[in-house]
Amino acid sequence: MIERLAFLWPEIALFITTCVVMVVGLSRSTGVRRLSALITAVGLAAALVLAVATTPKAGQFAPADGQTLFPDLPVFAKTLFAAVGLLLLPLLVGTVDRDDEREIAAGRRAFDPLRSNRAEFYAFYLFSLTGLMLCASASDLVWLFLALELTSLPTYVMVAISSRRHRAQEAAVKYFFLGALGAACFLMGFAFIYGGTGTTRLNVIADVFAASGINPIALAGLVLAVVGLAFKIAAVPMHFYTPDVYQGASPSVAGMLAFVPKAAGFVSLILVLGTVGWTHGPGGESGHSLPESLRVILWVMAALTMTVGNVLALLQSSVRRVLAYSSVAHSGYMLVALVAGPGDGSAASNGLAAVLFYLLAYGVMNLGAFAVLASLVRRNPKDGSADEIDSFDDLRGLCATRPFHGWTLVVCALSLLGFPPLLGFFAKVPLFTSGIAAGEYTLVVILGLNSAIAAFYYLRLVQMPLLEKPDPTTPVPEPVGVPSRTAAGLLSAAGAVVLIAVAGSLFDQAHRASRDPRTVAPARDAAGEPPAAPPIAARPE
Amino acid sequence: MTTALAATDLGSYLPIFLIVMMAITFAAINIGASLLLGPRRPGETKGGTYESGMNPVGTARKRFNVRFYLIAMTFLVFDVEIIFLFPWAATFSNLEPMGENAAVWLARIGFFLFTTVVMYVYGVRKGVFKFD
Repeated sequence: MIERLAFLWPEIALFITTCVVMVVGLSRSTGVRRLSALITAVGLAAALVLAVATTPKAGQFAPADGQTLFPDLPVFAKTLFAAVGLLLLPLLVGTVDRDDEREIAAGRRAFDPLRSNRAEFYAFYLFSLTGLMLCASASDLVWLFLALELTSLPTYVMVAISSRRHRAQEAAVKYFFLGALGAACFLMGFAFIYGGTGTTRLNVIADVFAASGINPIALAGLVLAVVGLAFKIAAVPMHFYTPDVYQGASPSVAGMLAFVPKAAGFVSLILVLGTVGWTHGPGGESGHSLPESLRVILWVMAALTMTVGNVLALLQSSVRRVLAYSSVAHSGYMLVALVAGPGDGSAASNGLAAVLFYLLAYGVMNLGAFAVLASLVRRNPKDGSADEIDSFDDLRGLCATRPFHGWTLVVCALSLLGFPPLLGFFAKVPLFTSGIAAGEYTLVVILGLNSAIAAFYYLRLVQMPLLEKPDPTTPVPEPVGVPSRTAAGLLSAAGAVVLIAVAGSLFDQAHRASRDPRTVAPARDAAGEPPAAPPIAARPE
Repeated sequence: MTTALAATDLGSYLPIFLIVMMAITFAAINIGASLLLGPRRPGETKGGTYESGMNPVGTARKRFNVRFYLIAMTFLVFDVEIIFLFPWAATFSNLEPMGENAAVWLARIGFFLFTTVVMYVYGVRKGVFKFD
């Protein structure tokens, strides 16, 4: 355990940055206070470099207590989280204290540290990303639990302070209580897994399962853990909070919520299901799958999550709620690949790589949609108060009136839909191929149908800015005065286009990251029978 | 899985038993002695509930000043720090003096203490200790 701590340099960098931002953000001088976003960016960039440079790859690091599950996962996941975290930062700039800072600059009010939330906001963002990175390097159930909580707890506060409206506080309370329920679920699950196997170390749990099968207590634990983690990824039946929280929080924080907890949930799901491996069940065509009970649960969850998310997204009039339900649906898509598992070792059949790559693509392209909502406001003619745009009507003719925002939304919506030349398409294809390779034909058909349903509301997000004429009777939405948000949107749209050039090599990285000899079923011999001994038994103790 | 129960030898519980007996005896002697020796002048204030100097009158469900919570949270940080310091100190004295490990261990706890200082500076800046 202790030697593993030597590889936490990215997390340590983020933590030190947190300490600095905590103090700098409360400075009496406006200029120093403004530095906190920049310091956060520097910390994230340092974490990105450290994640690439110091995280050990498979073979470079042999812990005394057995090789961890997915030895190449941390380097890929940490790099991904730091990169998307860096991309999210310009979107989050200016979320808190914008009006107060304006008043202070105009000399109408003195700086009051108790009212200022800037220090906490950036610090909590960094804390959350630290937790996210710790999730990826988890090798122990206790570690995983603490990392998940470190990811989630700051996000509850970020929702609460993201806006001075009561809606934000309502959303935060809702999010917190349901989050506590989810945490209780997977903590109970972890306890049962410990009860069933006698250890909290993930690789030892995998050994116990491989040697003596999955006993009912451990299975109950796995089911509870999956249901609890479903909260983090906003999957049915734990999705109810999603639209309210995304709508109540300011759109910039909602954009963060769509990536950070989801990534934590999926990485944890990969780790927890990795202890079981996709080698137990009777399987489909390829002869390998999760144990039947887990496979059925995840199968139903995937089908329901996709369908519920997409169908309810059709009924919404608020764009933020549409994006919230679409975030639910995207979790469903990724669950399909999770059911499929790592496949037979080829890249096309590797569902775990598909999940990791989809997280990358989703993190990049989803950000743009939220950035557009976060960077435009509509002024209320009665009292002059400004609200972030939220209805489809606000988007009318945006490509003509606000071309940067309009085209960002068009590109991101098309990419989220999975329109062929864009990043979303290249992310969606592996979901299909891994599902087919695992023989989950029904699930793949449901996935295809849901992609068609999603086209309806995503194409509305394209049609409104692109094809509709701007309404001359209503004023054009005004920029919110935080240029970095527009920049974040443009970067995201550019990412959705440019990253297709390197999509192949990125997917190879994801493929390598999700490789673990323990989770892949042995190839069948000529008679169609799997070899008698599972590969786990061949490994030295 | 074999689970070894360590409780087979009851003799190891003797010190705990002694402590418990000493505590009970001490309490009994104190109460008994004050009953026998102490003067008794009961009054309304004296018979009231002792509440650390506060006047225990009115409902307990009134709203407390939020500063109580801030102080409590600040206290918690130092409390947790002490909890971590004890096992560290117990282990540190077993390390080879002036060895390489000792320096690393000292640096680690130094970093940990530094985070507490950051918390304290944050608290001061935020105005946690400003009572006005």
